[in-house]
Parts: sequence; structure tokens; C-alpha cells
Amino acid sequence: MNAHQDSSGGIDRRRLLTRAALGGATIIGATALGGLDADAAFAAQQPSLDPAINKSSFVEGRITGITGSVLEVAGSYGDRSRVQMTNVTSVWKVRATTAEVVEVGDGLYARGVEMPDGTIAADAVWVNIVNLHTTIRGIEKQRLHLSHGQHELVGNVIPDTTNASYAGRAPTADLSRLRIGQSAQVLGAWRPSDDSVDVVRVTVGH
Amino acid sequence: MACGSTSLWAGETSWFCCGNAWGPCTGAGGGACGNCQSSANHGAWPNASQACWDITRPDLCGENIPRRGCGSVMNVKHQCSGATVCITITDCGPRTKEWCGETACCNGTCRSNRVLDLTPAAYSALGDLSSGKLPVYIYE
Repeated sequence: MNAHQDSSGGIDRRRLLTRAALGGATIIGATALGGLDADAAFAAQQPSLDPAINKSSFVEGRITGITGSVLEVAGSYGDRSRVQMTNVTSVWKVRATTAEVVEVGDGLYARGVEMPDGTIAADAVWVNIVNLHTTIRGIEKQRLHLSHGQHELVGNVIPDTTNASYAGRAPTADLSRLRIGQSAQVLGAWRPSDDSVDVVRVTVGH
Repeated sequence: MACGSTSLWAGETSWFCCGNAWGPCTGAGGGACGNCQSSANHGAWPNASQACWDITRPDLCGENIPRRGCGSVMNVKHQCSGATVCITITDCGPRTKEWCGETACCNGTCRSNRVLDLTPAAYSALGDLSSGKLPVYIYE
């Protein structure tokens, strides 16, 4: 085992991510990475041998500019960050996707490794993702009317994407058992253009 | 206060937004403790106070979760990957009673009932935000 491998024989993702951000990465296949999904990304964290990358960083905010593969992000507390997309960055926007769909104005959560210049080399980027505790106020074929705190919210039903989980059961495309007045957890993607949410999964209890 | 290694609870965690934020999270506020931030390693506990307990009622799902108030520190560990994050309790939640019996599984082993909510920063240290829920062990 060397500095580029973890204890299971896979490639140290942090090391690869850093090299990718610096332009020196050779992509070697998802198996060696433990898969390119965000779940697996930092699953087996190892102490880094490089003090400059000894912990992961997190970025939250709105994208104010995109320069090449770098996202300029304005944090909600006035902070500013630069997020470097690499060829090993996993991107989610309604579904697992690619960096090409990321737009100025989108909201973002990103996890990555801080580079010496302060840029975050992103391991995973979630664009416009929300996970809201809501109450169902109305049900139409193509949208749900929801309340979230003191606000009304439209949830767009996306064909082949939106699913529902009832009382802890496996998700299903059948939304017919949703009821007005039910509490519902809505995982989805915010649409900055009209402030609605594309519903990926709506979860209701009993 | 440092994160400890004494077992406190196990169950399912979800995630939520709080503090200054974008989109529907705008105006989410600082939570029950007033200082919750999505970008910090914070969490919501169902028994952060008596008033909190009255809302979340984990006991209705068989979870007699002990009181841990604002500022309590917990170490949260993904049941399968072993990834951990040290969090500070800054809010009340989740509403456990609404999700009795719900499970989150990995490697064929499941944890039931929502006993914790994490901020995006904390949850993303354990797994993928798009998963929505994870099975975890909680230490203090």
C-alpha cells in the first residue's frame, strides 16, 4: 500500500481529487475509486499524508459565475468561495448528471478538499437540492401544492422521476395515495426561475 | 465540549436546512436554539426540550430518547461506512412520530425511526444528500 491507496487497496480519493484539480489526474475507472457516486466518495476516510488536504470542506451558496470549470459561489453569510469541478466530481441536479447543467443563479452544496490557493476541489456537488418538511395542500396531476413553514410552494411532478414512499415502504411511481393534509418530506430540486421545486421523492408516514 | 465515544442512540437521520439560505430555505431561521446554520456541522434532536418533545414525540415510535439541549455535542457515525462527523445540537427535530417504522438500510442492516436531523454540511460528511436518509450510530 502506498500513499495513493487506501487500506482496501483502492485509490485514495482525496489524493486523486487533488491531482485532478491540479490537472494531473489520470482517470483510472470507477472501481478503483470505489464508484463515482457521492455515497462512496468519502466512505473510508484515511488520514492524509499531505497536511494541506487533511480534512474535507463544505461550501453552501448561490453560483454567481462560472469560469471554465470553476464555480464562483456567494455564501448565505456573505462569504465567497471558488469550487473547482474536476473529472471525478459527482454532480446532482434532480438526478445524477454532469457539470454542463450547472447554471449561474443555482443554489449549491459542495463537498471537497481545500487546495493551497483556497479553491475547493469538489468531490460532490448538489445543485438546488432541498429536503423539506411540508404539508400537502393540494394535488394535481402535474403538481403538488405544499406549505413549508409560512410559505406556499409548488412541487412539480416530473415524469419518470417523481416517486412516493408510503409509511416507510419502497418508493413507487404511484402518487395516488397522497392525501391533502398529510405531512410530507419532499426531496427535490429548487427551480430559481419560478421558485418551485421539482419533486424527486415525496415521503409520507401513516 | 469534545465529541465522545459513549453510545447514546442509533437510528435514522435525515437532513434539513436552517439559518440564512437560498431557495425555499430562505427564512428558515436559526432553529429552536437560534444559531443553526446549514453550512455548519449542526443537528436537530427530538428531545432538545420539553416543548420540543411535545412536538416530536419519539416515544410514540418506541424511542424514549433522552434530553440533550442546545449546545450538546454528538458524534454521528454512518452504520456501514464508518464515516463520522461531530455535531452540535442547535434545533429541535425531526418529528419522529410522523415516520414511525421508517427504515434506512445499508449492507442489509436497517435502522428504524428518524431520531436525528443533520444540516447539509454534517449530512454530506457521512453520505450523499440525495439519499435523504441514512442509518447512523450516535455517540456522546
